Amino acid sequence: MVSQKIIVTNEQGMHMRPASVFSQAMSKYASSVKIQFNGTEYDAKSVMMLMSACIKCGAEIEIQCDGADEADALKEAINLVESGLGD
Amino acid sequence: MLNGIAASRGIGIGSVCVIGETDLSYDKNKAKGVTEEKARFQKAVRDFKEETMAMAEDVRKRIGAKEAEILEGHLVMISDPSMAGEMEKMMETGQCAEAAVEAVCDMFIGMFSKMDDDMMRQRASDIGDIKVSLLKLLLGIEDVDIRHVAPGTVLVAKDLTPSMTSQIVKENVVGILTEVGGKTSHSAILARSLEIPAVLSVPNITELVKNKDTAIVDGTEGVVYINPEGDTLSAYIRKREDFIRKQSELQGFLGKETVTADGERVELFCNIGTPKDAAKAVECDGEGIGLFRTEFLFMDRSHMPTEEEQFAAYKQAVTTMGTRAVIIRTLDIGGDKDIPYLEMKKEENPFLGYRAVRYCLGNPESYRIQLRAILRASAFGKIKIMVPLVTCVEELRSVKRMVEEQKRALEKEGVAFDKEIEVGCMMETPAASLIADLLAKEADFFSIGTNDLTQYTMSVDRGNADVAYLYSTFQPSVLRSIKNIIEEGRKAGIPVGMCGEAAADPMMIPLLIAFGLTEFSVNPVLVLSARCTISKWSVKEARELAERVMALTTEEEIAALLKREMRE
Repeated sequence: MVSQKIIVTNEQGMHMRPASVFSQAMSKYASSVKIQFNGTEYDAKSVMMLMSACIKCGAEIEIQCDGADEADALKEAINLVESGLGD
Repeated sequence: MLNGIAASRGIGIGSVCVIGETDLSYDKNKAKGVTEEKARFQKAVRDFKEETMAMAEDVRKRIGAKEAEILEGHLVMISDPSMAGEMEKMMETGQCAEAAVEAVCDMFIGMFSKMDDDMMRQRASDIGDIKVSLLKLLLGIEDVDIRHVAPGTVLVAKDLTPSMTSQIVKENVVGILTEVGGKTSHSAILARSLEIPAVLSVPNITELVKNKDTAIVDGTEGVVYINPEGDTLSAYIRKREDFIRKQSELQGFLGKETVTADGERVELFCNIGTPKDAAKAVECDGEGIGLFRTEFLFMDRSHMPTEEEQFAAYKQAVTTMGTRAVIIRTLDIGGDKDIPYLEMKKEENPFLGYRAVRYCLGNPESYRIQLRAILRASAFGKIKIMVPLVTCVEELRSVKRMVEEQKRALEKEGVAFDKEIEVGCMMETPAASLIADLLAKEADFFSIGTNDLTQYTMSVDRGNADVAYLYSTFQPSVLRSIKNIIEEGRKAGIPVGMCGEAAADPMMIPLLIAFGLTEFSVNPVLVLSARCTISKWSVKEARELAERVMALTTEEEIAALLKREMRE
């Protein structure tokens, strides 16, 4: 498993659009993609789960990828968060 | 008369059409078998997606992309594995499709409606909308077609779901009344973009009216009349005409220069609080940003924003504005704005304490980060730096010295920035006003903040109801102070703006023209009305009025005269 901590910087946090951009991008990987936030684990391939985490701008999350393409998945996840999730 | 939340401005008068709640009851034990239930469910989801896609397309064409996004969000949600997937799992345990849809949707509604975030709570109503749509499809219930209501209809409903609002035809619907929803709800956003007057959260409205009742919807004041008396009705018919006339007059100012009646050009800028608001300023025809508050970057979080975060926000605002100027006010915390992680000491007199530039100069390591981020963003457009709460020349000098240090550092690193970046003072203390001549020699511009200037000049806490009566920009002392700041700025040849609420006040505008203000910065929604008021005064007339005003002794006399002479 690979993982990395990152701060969410887009103004709206994990709202509808950012969450759907993120979950759709993650869904194409075979690896599992989870987000650790506030002591709870969320499935990053599910837009509903991502939104239910209520992750706001400035929050620190940890992205964990596990599986055959875990390195690629993590790389794209970090890139997406850094670029502001299309917000 | 009934009261509710004024959600979309304007006045609508028409005939009521109540959209009743549909009976969505079903027999919980109706499941025929796992395969059958799943098949029924999958068909309902397919139909739902098809309908929603068509609706989104229609909304995009008729209303706008932003409004269509709500419906596209429904598609994303229903396609989520934790929605359809969970529902199917329940059907596998022998539940009927309806019960599965209801249980999973209710679970998410419960989760989202508990969140302490307004936008997230909106998701709860989205899921409620999906639930109702799916149940109707499963139960074979036809929707009421709002598209075909008669012209002159006032729609009344418990709540307008996005799928309902997206069917509203602007030509037929003159007003909207609901029992739930606030200013930021879908119904409110849609009503505003369709320019249909709306009053939301009117208690029990669906029970208080019946079809064909006459209703007045005053979406500006949040007031509703059902079957009004003749006098009320005729008064509102007049009000509606005035509103429509005013709106079309204001639309005529869109895209026009801001000039006085005798052709003197002034700048009309906007005040914004987030980089996103810059788009709003452009949309409302603002000619620049006169005040970009940076506090939002620092609030509602657990630690200081990084240089990158700040840079991204400033850059976004300045790129949105293109070649137009953006005046960024550096961090103005303290006073009534508390930021827990800064661990500022509790003070006896926070408004007279360690705040704004005082705090920034006392914490140079954090201030440097902000200045650096602003400088880096200045490579992408026209940025000016504004220092809040200046009371003496040394403060301005210290900030300018820090700006120069950061410029040298960036130069060494080969990072681009605007070498000519201007640094100006926010003029909001009596001290700054009294030494305006001294500050004007070293500042590149002034911007008057009337809210604090009034508070400090009158020594009055406007939150304190016992003394609030003293809080008025029309106090002779405050007007003298404003006049002095503008005149000293003009003498030194620097531009003088105003970014307080007074800049948009039709009573204040002639005085500001007379004193020689060069830039008015207002809330984006007030751009056109300010431009309209400015166009109605010549400099000569404004000066004549100002002379009369400045000869008066009391606030009461001044306000009365300005009110009489007001031109809107």
